[in-house]
Amino acid sequence: MSWADLNLMPALPEIFLLTALSVILVLDLFLSDAKRGITYGLTLLTLLGCAVLTLTTWVPYPETTFSGMFVDDPVSDLAKIGLYIAVAVTLVYTRQYADNHGIFKGEYYTLTLFSLLGMMVMVSSSHFLTLYIGLELLSLALYALIALKRDSTPALEAAMKYFVLGALASGMLLYGMSMLYGATGSLFLVEVANDIASGQANSMLVVFGIVFVVAGLAFKLGAVPFHMWVPDVYHGSPTAITLMIGAAPKIAAMVFVWRILAQGLGAAVADWQMMLVVLAVLSMALGNITAIAQTNLKRMFAYSTVSHMGFLLVGILAGTEAGYTAALFYILVYVLMSLAGFGILLLLSRAGFDCETLDDLKGLNQKNSWYALLMLFAMFSMAGIPPLAGFYAKFAVLKAAVDVGLVWLAVVGVVFSLVGAFYYLRVVKCMYFDEPNDEPVPAARPDMKLVLSLNAVALLVLGVVPDSLLTLCVDAMKQSLSVVAGA
Amino acid sequence: MLTLTHYLVLGAILFAISVLGILLNRKNVIVLLMAIELMLLAVNYNFIAFSKYLSDTGGQIFVFFILTVAAAESAIGLAIMVGLFRNLRTISVEDLGSLKG
Amino acid sequence: MSFQEVVFYVLSAIVLYSGLRVVTAKNPVHAALFLVLAFFSAAGHWLLMQAEFLAIALVLVYVGAVMVLFLFVVMMLDINFEKLHEGFWRHLPLAGTVAVIMIVEMVMVLLSPSADLSSMNEIAPLAEGMSNVRELGLQIYTTYLLPFELAAVLLLLAIVAAIALTMRKRKDTKYIDPAVQVRVQRADRVRVLKMDAEPRANADTDNNESAA
Repeated sequence: MSWADLNLMPALPEIFLLTALSVILVLDLFLSDAKRGITYGLTLLTLLGCAVLTLTTWVPYPETTFSGMFVDDPVSDLAKIGLYIAVAVTLVYTRQYADNHGIFKGEYYTLTLFSLLGMMVMVSSSHFLTLYIGLELLSLALYALIALKRDSTPALEAAMKYFVLGALASGMLLYGMSMLYGATGSLFLVEVANDIASGQANSMLVVFGIVFVVAGLAFKLGAVPFHMWVPDVYHGSPTAITLMIGAAPKIAAMVFVWRILAQGLGAAVADWQMMLVVLAVLSMALGNITAIAQTNLKRMFAYSTVSHMGFLLVGILAGTEAGYTAALFYILVYVLMSLAGFGILLLLSRAGFDCETLDDLKGLNQKNSWYALLMLFAMFSMAGIPPLAGFYAKFAVLKAAVDVGLVWLAVVGVVFSLVGAFYYLRVVKCMYFDEPNDEPVPAARPDMKLVLSLNAVALLVLGVVPDSLLTLCVDAMKQSLSVVAGA
Repeated sequence: MLTLTHYLVLGAILFAISVLGILLNRKNVIVLLMAIELMLLAVNYNFIAFSKYLSDTGGQIFVFFILTVAAAESAIGLAIMVGLFRNLRTISVEDLGSLKG
Repeated sequence: MSFQEVVFYVLSAIVLYSGLRVVTAKNPVHAALFLVLAFFSAAGHWLLMQAEFLAIALVLVYVGAVMVLFLFVVMMLDINFEKLHEGFWRHLPLAGTVAVIMIVEMVMVLLSPSADLSSMNEIAPLAEGMSNVRELGLQIYTTYLLPFELAAVLLLLAIVAAIALTMRKRKDTKYIDPAVQVRVQRADRVRVLKMDAEPRANADTDNNESAA
């Protein structure tokens, strides 16, 4: 390989991001605290630049570069657009919160960009090593972001817990990868897939590896029984960082799981399907039931995340193109929902006060009916009530499961989403029918109000015309999978 | 003669020891970090053994990167631990009552 | 038993014993030192497998840098070791059972006939004039260019994160700025005053008083 052969075009957004990140890192050193807004503006501009580059280099087929370690296919492009939007919206929502809670520092933005780079590498990797390094880039940046509020004991505690369990998960994942490497003799996903499909791989080692890989992935996703870190980390982190963990990384995690299980181990679907079924059922059950007992909204969202990860796994474990498409659609909608839900919490927080318990939302309708309506959209969508987007997302994954004959799993999914509706509706009841408390509604920045409104309304619009996003997902998945199968 | 199985079994036992360490030292963060290092060592054994017995350099290069990542990881882990110690004067996780799982 | 096997078993015994001591040691300093021992013996194993470069990297990078960092932190923090060890015996039965089951299961899988690892029993000798370092270097800077660059980014991230988490500027600390020190001129420090000479009055009595 010589430099002339190296095609950098597919990796252009990543290269741009890294360059911009380095510039911001240095520039920020020369800014006083009062001018930190410049860092914020530059970060948003960087995201815009990445989006433009991703859209202009969009091709309807997979392109590989860096000796086949990096792949730029429609799924990764779609996921990257989702990542830019999620990160940008997160930054807009957390601007004021960060200022009020002493984390409005240059590192907040540079670490966020580092984590974005990690996520982009995760969604574009076609080699175990790049997958691993992307994952670590994301995780290390997140650990540091949580601990950035250095005088907050719960935040540091959450960071430590996340760190230890995250490292354990990476260890398991690596052990699994080492076994898959031994079984197939290659670290490239395509070669691993071909080796397994042609039966050349050592099947015992493949299964042995899959057990560890699935356990590691379940840890990272927060699926039961590997979910114990989720509520603690969501609860302990400052709300801004909780959103940072709970939104964009989920998209990256879904594509990461899809790359390993579908693209790398697609031929061994029978081996991992049952494991995922167990994880999915347990996550949907335990997530939804435990969430009912929570009075802290951050913990409630954490358990709700666990249950949503269960639904996501239902889509993936179908092992069909329709299933993967449904999972991709599900995760994009889920991220929009959690952005809206956490957006309201961030909106109602001010210096010295975190809006995080059910009581803090009491009588929100009387105080500000528009905010209450936005939260209502988010809650109804998470509960899967038509005509909001969450309904179609759930419908799509359950349909994928029915199509492969897992009718009972779909029934379990429906039952637990009904159980889950209870606690989402309790939030709505609290806002509309309870006496208001005397907490005033803080004034919000106009850009945040605008984006939050757009965000919540998008849930309704996507619910009425789900085809707009669904078609994108279907096309992206078809174009990405067809060529891999032929490669 | 030394075979691949020798090294894989050794790696498996080391892996189990590190899991033992994580279960045993739930209070002691610094030993937890060391147990994680031990786990990565077990993984490295596997990769090198496979790499050598398959005559493919990929595994050894993977180990090279695992070493790099683990160094970065322990730096951040220790930084968080120092921060925790500054706030609490202890690194025992169970003294921390504010979060319960 | 060949010489290599003897070496293998001796090193294995050391690795496993020190690994066990790492996770059971009362004092984290001992744990760190046992981990160093484990890494040294692991490096020995890797040499047996002819992976010289990694063996040396393990000793230089891991023992030389990471473990020293661990030791620094353990010794810098004033930790109550006794307290950390509480609850250790309470967890032991469960943790021990899990570990033993894991070992038995994993070893059974690896030794079972269906794992069939016998096809890979021999390490192929390296080609003439090809060293392990050369072999890895050729790959890292060509095929593995992307991970190599990303690893650099990861190290940058670690620097930024570690500094952001631990560096504290205290407002009340008195700093020295060498640049300012160097730039000092004589005029900044010494002022020569022109004063009129005054006659000495009662000098002897003054001296006597101060001496007394």
